[in-house]
This record gives sequence, structure tokens and C-alpha cells, in this order.
Amino acid sequence: MNACALEVKGLSIKFGAFTAVDDVSFTVRRGEIFGFLGANGAGKTTTIRMLCGLLVPSSGSASVGGLGFEDGGKGIKRIVGYMSQKFTLYNDLTVGENLDFAAGLRKLAPAFAKKRRKELFELIAFDKPLSTMVAALPGGVKQELSLAVAMLHDPEIVFLDEPTSGVSPASRARFWALIRKITGLGKTVIVTTHYMDEAEQCGRIALMRTGRLIALGSPAELKASAFPGPMAEIDFKGAAPAGFLDGLRAAEGLLELSPHGMRWHAAFTGPAAMQAALRGLPPGADVRAIPPSLEDVFIRLVEGSGR
Amino acid sequence: MKRTLLAFIKKEFVQALRDPRMKLILFVMPMIQMTVFGLALSSEIKNIKLAAIYSPGDAAAARLARRFTSSGWFVPAASGGAQDPAGLIVSGAADAVLVFPAEGFARAAARDRGGVQLLVDATSVTRARSVEAYARNIFSAHAAAAAGLPAYQPPFGFDVRIIYNPEMESPVFMVPGVMGMIVCLVTIILTSMSLTRERELGTFETIVSAPLENHEILLGKTIPYVVLGLANSALVIAAGFLIFGVPVKGQLWQLFCAALAFVITTVGIGTLISTISRNQQQAMMGGFIFLFPAVLMSGIMYPVENMPALLKPAVYLNPLYYFTSLLRNIMLKGGDHSAFVLNMAALALMAAASGAAAYKRFRQTLN
Repeated sequence: MNACALEVKGLSIKFGAFTAVDDVSFTVRRGEIFGFLGANGAGKTTTIRMLCGLLVPSSGSASVGGLGFEDGGKGIKRIVGYMSQKFTLYNDLTVGENLDFAAGLRKLAPAFAKKRRKELFELIAFDKPLSTMVAALPGGVKQELSLAVAMLHDPEIVFLDEPTSGVSPASRARFWALIRKITGLGKTVIVTTHYMDEAEQCGRIALMRTGRLIALGSPAELKASAFPGPMAEIDFKGAAPAGFLDGLRAAEGLLELSPHGMRWHAAFTGPAAMQAALRGLPPGADVRAIPPSLEDVFIRLVEGSGR
Repeated sequence: MKRTLLAFIKKEFVQALRDPRMKLILFVMPMIQMTVFGLALSSEIKNIKLAAIYSPGDAAAARLARRFTSSGWFVPAASGGAQDPAGLIVSGAADAVLVFPAEGFARAAARDRGGVQLLVDATSVTRARSVEAYARNIFSAHAAAAAGLPAYQPPFGFDVRIIYNPEMESPVFMVPGVMGMIVCLVTIILTSMSLTRERELGTFETIVSAPLENHEILLGKTIPYVVLGLANSALVIAAGFLIFGVPVKGQLWQLFCAALAFVITTVGIGTLISTISRNQQQAMMGGFIFLFPAVLMSGIMYPVENMPALLKPAVYLNPLYYFTSLLRNIMLKGGDHSAFVLNMAALALMAAASGAAAYKRFRQTLN
């Protein structure tokens, strides 16, 4: 069997004159957690919707589990699971009725649907009766149930579009444990997120900006390529002296300077550049070397390059 | 295909029957509308306030005035003894005023000068017309006897027979029209709202992410509303029979065919409205934008024959016009064959056109 779950080459889609996704290429290995990171409107959802067979690309090609768009995406729809960023279960139906409807939509045999339901309930540790109204479930459980419904037909590849938006931190952690469990079963998971801590948990991340894929790699690779030199966190213990900051901004070898709450992150091309730039530090200010976070990468690559 | 359709039908019914508001729209609202419209849309005018002005002691005038009030159409106006006929109309104390000759009705009549004047408030034209017609009939039937003269016998007769609705009861005529209106309202509003609700809430994503053919989605979302529309028709027909005694003289299969073709047409229109609506409010608005002209140009309240030639084509494109004609024909006339076939053919054509248009638009807006 092909080791690649997903092979995307030059994928683009236009809506009228607007290019929503522009020449995106990447591959995803089977069993990988592949993340899309980007601001709203960066083209993450549109990319995912194409790869789920919901939109047909204007140009480029994609092989999703070995299938393309020759049949308008119908074949792809059959083998992937898709969890939209909108809440797609019916609040006015019970858990059982929602699952029955999803099974009917996909023409699953009743025996198969029942078996899958049992497996998925075990996976998400759902122990409430089938007659529970979906509206009465807590937000985190609703998302887990949405995932179960998206996986009812036992898809090889699961697309999750911002699956944890609007749920509590504890529920987010639970959901990510679930994602790891799914890939443990050999499934491939493609996920979009706004949260940096979630992106850290992905095997590889694709960074998107205005429809283009601007960086791709594991979290460590992205950090290393965005910040080849050291990074310092400066705490001025109060208001930052404007004169020093101006000097720092003009310093040779500064890659990035950005405020993080009360502190500042400054990245440099190398240790020598850092030492030189921080020489005139006001007394009382604290400096420590820190590893760059994905947020720093995001600021540098996604927001920084646009300025 | 079958499994998908069954899943859709089950889901839509569970949703429709679980929601108290939906139950209200489906079952209670039609009953209330039926009763209110059936009674209030009556073209019969009753309780006309009539003042009669005559000299004290004019027994003949008093007799004739009593004939008016005993007819059932008129009630005596509280004139408060005022003798200014125009003043009574202006103040609204009377809708009509009979003014008898001052010298006495019988005496004036004996001298061939028995002219009686009728003042009618015509701020409502339909009401004034009825008042005039009633007054004319009562006057010509009873004036001679009241004045003590021999009744005039014309040498010929004009024998009027009213058929299909011999008592000319308004509900019998109105209820089939109101029925068409209710079924139209319920199916268009529910269909368009149900489809836009799925889009608005995002549940539509679940549906389109399944490997389904377009027609499967369209049929799945619309068949439940065709069934609900038919159930609603049956409910309203039963209520018309029980509350107003509106008969069903024709065959039930004729009613079924008419209702089926009409409901398919309106569900198609509801689907079309949903494809141009972003949210449920817009769908509701779209529904009413269609409904008002459709109801006004259907012949339910105003005869379409009276409409200006410019508007006539709109009448012939109005499914409600054909459905109302069919219902009146089947229920009151017993389903005259040629009229049934003609209207049925027109309605079937509209059902096909509306279904095809809905399918085409629906496919384009699926993603």
C-alpha cells in the first residue's frame, strides 16, 4: 500500500477573481498528524474542503488515499471523514438519532453501523444513553461526538477543521489525546488550529498565509529554520525604555523583536550579534536565553513577512 | 438511495414533531386560520345600522321599516330621535337612512308621489353595494303592501336558482380557497426555512460531505415536506367539513391528485427560495413576498375576471389559482371532468417546472 495518505501538487482554487488557495503542494504520510496553521482567511478551510471532495480545485492535482477528483469528489468523500468547524450535529435530535441519520446518509448497513457505534463510543468514552438530546451535552462531549459521527464509516483519513474552537482547555487536552489515539489506530489526521500548543503536538505543520503555503515542517524544523540563532527574552521590570528599543531595532543581526505581554522576545542571527546588541541594556533588566516557541515562528513567518 | 431517503424522512419527521413551534405551525395555526378566515372573509354583509325617518303616526312607513329590520340584514340604528339624515351618516350612528315623505308614506303613495329616499354610507364600497341590493329587494317586495295598495304583478317572472351553494353561504365558497392558502403557506415557509436552517447552522456540511447524488439530497430534504403538506391538506379538508359543513362532492382521488401536484409545486418554490436566502429570516421574507401576490391573484378573495389585462398573465402563472379552482370544482361541484382535467394539467405542468427549476438551482448552490 502507498505510504502516502495524501499527495497534493500545485493545488489552486479560484472563486471568481479571488484566488483562495494558490499553488499548494505537500504530502502527508499514513498515520501522521498533519496540522494547518494560519490566520482566518489564510485558506486552511478551503484547502481541507477540497481534499474532502467538497470543492473541486481550479487547477493542480491531489491524490487522497489514491483517489482524485475525476468523479467530482464522490470517491474521496467515501474514504475520508470530515469534521467541519461548524457544529454539524442536530441539537434537536438525540445522540442515537444523529448517528442513525449519519449512517443513513452514508448508506451503511445497520449491523456495521451498530458495530462502529460501539467501537467509537468506547474510543471517546461516551457512556450516556443513546436517547440523550445532543443539545443537553457539554461542549467538549459534543465535539467528541462530532468526531465519532465523522468516523462512523471507518475512514482512513480524517480531516478536522478547528475541532477545538470554543471548548474548555481541559476538553481540548482530552480531544488531542483522542487524536493521538486515532493515529495510533493507523488513521491519518489532518487538523487545522489557531492554538500554538495544539500545533506543537502535530507531526508536521503547514503554515498558510493568504492562500499560500509559506512553510512546512515539524515544529522543531520550523523553529530551527525561522530562528537559526539564539533568542533572548528581555524583562525590563516596567515600561520598556524607548531609546534602548529603538537602538535594538536598528541593531545589526536582529531577526525579530516582538512584545509578549510584559516581556520582549528578540531573535538574532548569532551569539555575537546578540551580545553586541544587548550591551547597552538598562540596569535592572533581566535577560535570559529561551528556545523559540511556535508563536515566535508564527509571528516571524506569517505576520512579520507581511509588514 | 432507499436507505438515505428513509433516514431523511425519519429525521425530518422527528424534528418537525418534536419542536412545539413546528407543531403549532403545522396543526394549530391552520385550524385557527381556517376558522378566522372562514368566518371573517365572509362577503355577506349583516348588521347594517338603518335609521328610518318618517312623521310621527305614519303607520305605513313604520310597517315598511319593520320589514327591513325583520329581514335579518338590518338592525335599527340608535338615532337618538335625531331628524337630520345626513347627520346620522356623518356621525356613524347609521350606515343607511330611509327618508319617507313628510306627508305620510301611504298618503303620498296614493297620490303617486310615494318616493322614498335611501342614503347609504359608501366609505366601504362592497358594503354599500350590498346595502343597496338588499334595500331594493325589500322595498320592491313590500312597499305596496305596506302602503295598503294592491301588489303589482308583472306579466313575466324571473326565476333565479342558485346551484352548488344554494344558501350562498360564504364559508362554503371561502373554505376551499382558504385551504389552498394554508397549504401554500405551510409548505413554502417550512421547506425554505428547513433548508436554510441546515445551511445556517452548518448541519448541511454533514449532508454534503457524504457521497450522495444531488437528487438524493434534494429528494431527502423535500419528500418529508410533500408528505407533511398532504397531511395538512387532509387535516384542513376534514376541518372544513366538520366546522363549516363544506361538502366534498367529488372523488377523493381527485382531491389527492390536486393536492399532490400543488404541494410538489410549492415545495419546489420553497426550495428555490432557500437557494437565494442566507438565513431563516430571509427565507421567511421570501416566502411572504411570494405568498401575498399569490393569494391576492388566486381568486380566493377577489374574482380574477376583474383583474386588469396586464395582471392576467400573473394569474395564469399562479399555482394557487389552479389549486383553488380545482378545490372548488371538486368539493362543491363534484369534480366536473373537463374543468378538472384542464386545471390538473396546468398544475401538473407547474409541478414539473418548479421541480426542475429547484433541482437546477439546488445543484448550483450545493457547495
